Amino acid sequence: MTKKDDETQRVQYLLDIEYHYAAGELATRFFTELKEAGRIMGMRCSGCHRVYLPPRPVCGICYKELKDWVPLSDEGIIVGCTVVHLPFIDPMTGEQRPVPYGFAIIRLDGASTSIYHFVDETDEKKLRVGQRVKAVFREPRTGSLHHDIKYFRLVGK
Amino acid sequence: MPRRVAIISTGQTKHRAKRRDVNVRELITEAVTRALEEADIRMKDIDAVVIGNMEPFEGFLFPELWAVEGWGGYLKPSVKFNTGGTVGTTTAIAAYYYVASGIYDVVLAIGFEKQSEGHTQTAITTVGDPIWERAIMAGAVGNFAVMASTYIHDSGVTEEQAAKVAVKARRNACNNEYAHLQMPDITVEDVLKSRMLAYPVKLLDMCPQSDGACAVVFAEESRAKQLAPRPAWIKAVATAHEQQYMGDSPKRLAAMRSQVAASRRAYAYAGITNPRKELDVAEIYEVASFAELAMYENLGFCERGEGGKLIDAGVTEMTGELPVNPSGGVLSTNPIGATALIRVAEAALQVMGKAGKRQIDGVRTALATGYGGNAWTDVMILSRDL
Amino acid sequence: MDEWVVHQRIKIPFMYTAGRALTRFLEGLARGEIWATRCASCGRVYLPPLNFCGRCWRGIDRWCQLPPLGELISYTIIQRPLPEHPDRSPLILGLIRLDGADTNLVHLIGDVDPSEVERVTRVRAVWRDERPASILAISHFAPLT
Repeated sequence: MTKKDDETQRVQYLLDIEYHYAAGELATRFFTELKEAGRIMGMRCSGCHRVYLPPRPVCGICYKELKDWVPLSDEGIIVGCTVVHLPFIDPMTGEQRPVPYGFAIIRLDGASTSIYHFVDETDEKKLRVGQRVKAVFREPRTGSLHHDIKYFRLVGK
Repeated sequence: MPRRVAIISTGQTKHRAKRRDVNVRELITEAVTRALEEADIRMKDIDAVVIGNMEPFEGFLFPELWAVEGWGGYLKPSVKFNTGGTVGTTTAIAAYYYVASGIYDVVLAIGFEKQSEGHTQTAITTVGDPIWERAIMAGAVGNFAVMASTYIHDSGVTEEQAAKVAVKARRNACNNEYAHLQMPDITVEDVLKSRMLAYPVKLLDMCPQSDGACAVVFAEESRAKQLAPRPAWIKAVATAHEQQYMGDSPKRLAAMRSQVAASRRAYAYAGITNPRKELDVAEIYEVASFAELAMYENLGFCERGEGGKLIDAGVTEMTGELPVNPSGGVLSTNPIGATALIRVAEAALQVMGKAGKRQIDGVRTALATGYGGNAWTDVMILSRDL
Repeated sequence: MDEWVVHQRIKIPFMYTAGRALTRFLEGLARGEIWATRCASCGRVYLPPLNFCGRCWRGIDRWCQLPPLGELISYTIIQRPLPEHPDRSPLILGLIRLDGADTNLVHLIGDVDPSEVERVTRVRAVWRDERPASILAISHFAPLT
């Protein structure tokens, strides 16, 4: 360990924690549909008619219990987008996530809310808000949003 | 009826990228000692302590427990908060509630962070939901970048206008002896040419990572009058949350529902109908240059889509009609657990007339905001008038 | 329908800055010395040392060297050591009050069978040959015989 005069001793360590996360009843249904049928499902609020993705038990705006499942398109629009150049350590692996990569907030057709996903484009000039995108699936599907949908690709002009 | 509450003193550390001369405990003691000296009180005069920090940025749980005797917690009523980016304003609002309720007369609020000890982008990515967001999320920088793209699309704000915010912050910081990034010669060109982090956010558009602590003392009316020649009276506090997932709000930054709701609630309590005219200064939690412009709109300083024009017109400069972040803001100093409390401290200093070289003349009313995941907003309004 | 349970892991590298007082303590350990501080106001001797007494709310600048000897205040026997621990055999963790200190250190107790530790009252520090600037400069504490 080396240090400058005004510096004090430092100790390096790694926070490494394994855990299990119970996805819950609604996410279980969502991921089962995704895995078995390759279908993306949302939930509609009977009060405000918003269609939520991810699914959730209650509409946070109307406080109504959500019960109705609706299939969503595998196409949608970019609501916000970027190309990430900043290298950082991915907490899921402890390794640096490869950069650059396209990253967007995507609203699928039929949904009122959006999800984060990767976009298969690293030229920021070709990415814009409002652009249409389509999910590219990865086989065999395992029931994971970020595995089963590899990324979204740009469609049309 | 709540009791009247004022801020009577503040204390900050010299914020830097790396405070390798001190550990967490010593860092906190530095800020707390300054706040006590400023009010000329002793630790025994403090009735209760609220302390905030955003673990796991230091990598171990409860960093404040390792430091209890360094912040005056020994045998005192105290509580720790972690509400993310807002934690500093959460502690300030909690201290206000404690005093306003009549339970305690003098309460110390503390915020601290040693960001140099961990990997901020990595730790902040763990904020993302484990199955819906975490594997995709790209730290705070990626989040701000996608939100900024929506704001640019909606408002037509330009990268140059955002760069002006980044320049204002680092130049203002030169008047603040505690600020981390002081850049007297920074230009719009420098910002535009700085390294791309995540389009459209460049290095100089983004807040730094700092080590630092802040302490603020709150007191009830009679103690405040006795201890401070010109206390900063709290006129309003408000807090509001967004929905849970990152993609739930259609325009999370461009039209932040929580910020609109919390600010309008606070303005109503304080009797403010035209914030641009009635506020004399604002210390807002702006995080990134683009965010400050969007926040002008969310906070009602201008109409929707006019944020860029506001910076062009110089309205929010030191000499403008409503100076925003004379301290240099989050873009200059960002020890996350302290950042929002620094907004409150800086707003209080302006009201108390103790802001030194960054003092705006004749401040009577000041706004402070906090911002955190997921678009949680806190607002506090301070006034020279009881 | 099976319930979906996701198995994940987070890994984040960190570092801890020891600060001035602990640095002097750690560098003392590397030399085989144990340094503590004494508050001039309440007289409390802090080990590990602090440069600020939170109870008196004043700085501390008085240093004193303590002997590597003390009392075993309490102990626990860990039958199934964690991966972080040096080996798989049962470990004894002790709470040790060094002579002259007002606070306690936690360290390993060695050179004694777990079934015998109950009888131990006095302990001494056993230094490593290669001493890092770390509490591990002391290998363990052994019964004083």
